[in-house]
Amino acid sequence: MNQNPQSSEGRGDDDAALSDFLASLMDYTPTIPDELVEHYLAKSGFQCPDVRLTRLVAVATQKFVAEVAGDALQHCKARQATIPKDKRDKQQKDKRLVLTMEDLSKALREYGVNLRHQEYFADSPSTGMDPATREE
Amino acid sequence: MSNGGGKTGRQLEQPGTWRRRKVGGGDDFARAIAKIAVAQVCESEGFQAFQQSALDALSDVVVRYILNVGKSAHCHANLSGRTESNAFDVIQGLEDMGSVQGFAGASEVDHCLESSGVIREIFHFVNEGEPVVFAHPIPRFPVVKERVLNPSFLQKGEEPPGDHIPAWLPAFPDPQNSSQSPVVNGRGTEPRAVKFEQERENGKGEWPVLNLKQQMVSNLFEKSALVDVADTKAKRVAAEGNPFLAAPLKIEDKEIASVPPPAKFFNDVVLDNPVVENFVQSEPISALETFAPAIEAMKNTCCDSKEDQTKKFVNEKPTVRFKIGIKNKLLGRSIGFIPQTEEHNKTLPWFAMEDEKDDMKRRAEKILRESLENPDQLVQL
Repeated sequence: MNQNPQSSEGRGDDDAALSDFLASLMDYTPTIPDELVEHYLAKSGFQCPDVRLTRLVAVATQKFVAEVAGDALQHCKARQATIPKDKRDKQQKDKRLVLTMEDLSKALREYGVNLRHQEYFADSPSTGMDPATREE
Repeated sequence: MSNGGGKTGRQLEQPGTWRRRKVGGGDDFARAIAKIAVAQVCESEGFQAFQQSALDALSDVVVRYILNVGKSAHCHANLSGRTESNAFDVIQGLEDMGSVQGFAGASEVDHCLESSGVIREIFHFVNEGEPVVFAHPIPRFPVVKERVLNPSFLQKGEEPPGDHIPAWLPAFPDPQNSSQSPVVNGRGTEPRAVKFEQERENGKGEWPVLNLKQQMVSNLFEKSALVDVADTKAKRVAAEGNPFLAAPLKIEDKEIASVPPPAKFFNDVVLDNPVVENFVQSEPISALETFAPAIEAMKNTCCDSKEDQTKKFVNEKPTVRFKIGIKNKLLGRSIGFIPQTEEHNKTLPWFAMEDEKDDMKRRAEKILRESLENPDQLVQL
């Protein structure tokens, strides 16, 4: 651990806060299941019998996913907002918020993950076409 | 845009499309769980549908995130001379992962880990968000199977056949049923049936019967264990419309009815096989005893022409199967056909030759064997 320039009192407070927080994680059930996190942590060589640390990683992972998804959602909404008015009426029927590769790669780029749509990967015959022209 | 939800639904309906992706090599289960979890988080963020590829990519990134955090924490533990990680290693690992983004206080070289900005962010996240519980209860995985070893010469109390074989090695299989490998299950019925007939001629028919009972026990038990796991998994019924939250298909959904393992068959094997203890009942009735009425009926039978009768019995294979295992003895005589034939057989006059009777008896036992070996077919009936 690092040297703390703060007074020992402040350190004691932080200590209590951290252990309180870790204890509170026992009541919090993250969406990422403990078993999954445990499995992958064990795979990476991590050893610790403490469930709280597993929870901590699970919560951190969930936060990461939530942030990425939130960013992607913003991209998605922004993209939908830029569609011109006349076309928007046509699109109204499928104005659902869909997590697409396009938004996801933009969102993940901010987190240091460079993700590209596969070059010749086609979900459907219309994939890869310009979203604006897809309706025709 | 438009190819979101429908796509994922279609993907789920085709199990073959899952199989073509072998990413982690035996890691499919964990990845499927990761996908569900990621989908749930995204749904709580406000998304309504996914592109399958985007979900795959995001869940893969998440798996790598967990792996990286673990690797980093492990590395920091090793740096300080420990094998087990503690909270500070994990926080340091999280800081490493968050350094791309930046966090409060990251610029200070000697900031305290306890009051790290990463932890504060997570703290806020926990306090703000409503916890979304994972859709399915999951069993512990990976499942490590306890291997059941063959008894050694020592355990069996036998002398090894040669001095060069140490006593702690597993004993040789019985020469009588050594050709019946338990691996070939339910497939190689015909050759084994022939072999059984040969053994009957030699008066050694009891061995294979016992053996196949063991096989059947293990078969049925494996099946029921699987069903149990599936039951616990499928207890939660998920929100409608989201294929990722749908409860997994139970094994028994594919079949018409689940057949409870007939307890009476198992008594002979219970001692060898501790797992079937649950099924033990008090009075032991062997399979042969169970079918005694059928065999008796056939003994008393006679007929005008041999060929007719044999043909009849061959044709009646499935019916006799019922008589044997399930309907007649355990579930009561729910099908009128069986008593009918029995009566019909009994009313016929007695003309039969000795060897013909033997032949029929043998045939009945052969049918019994086949039906015992193929519990799957029983289930389908």
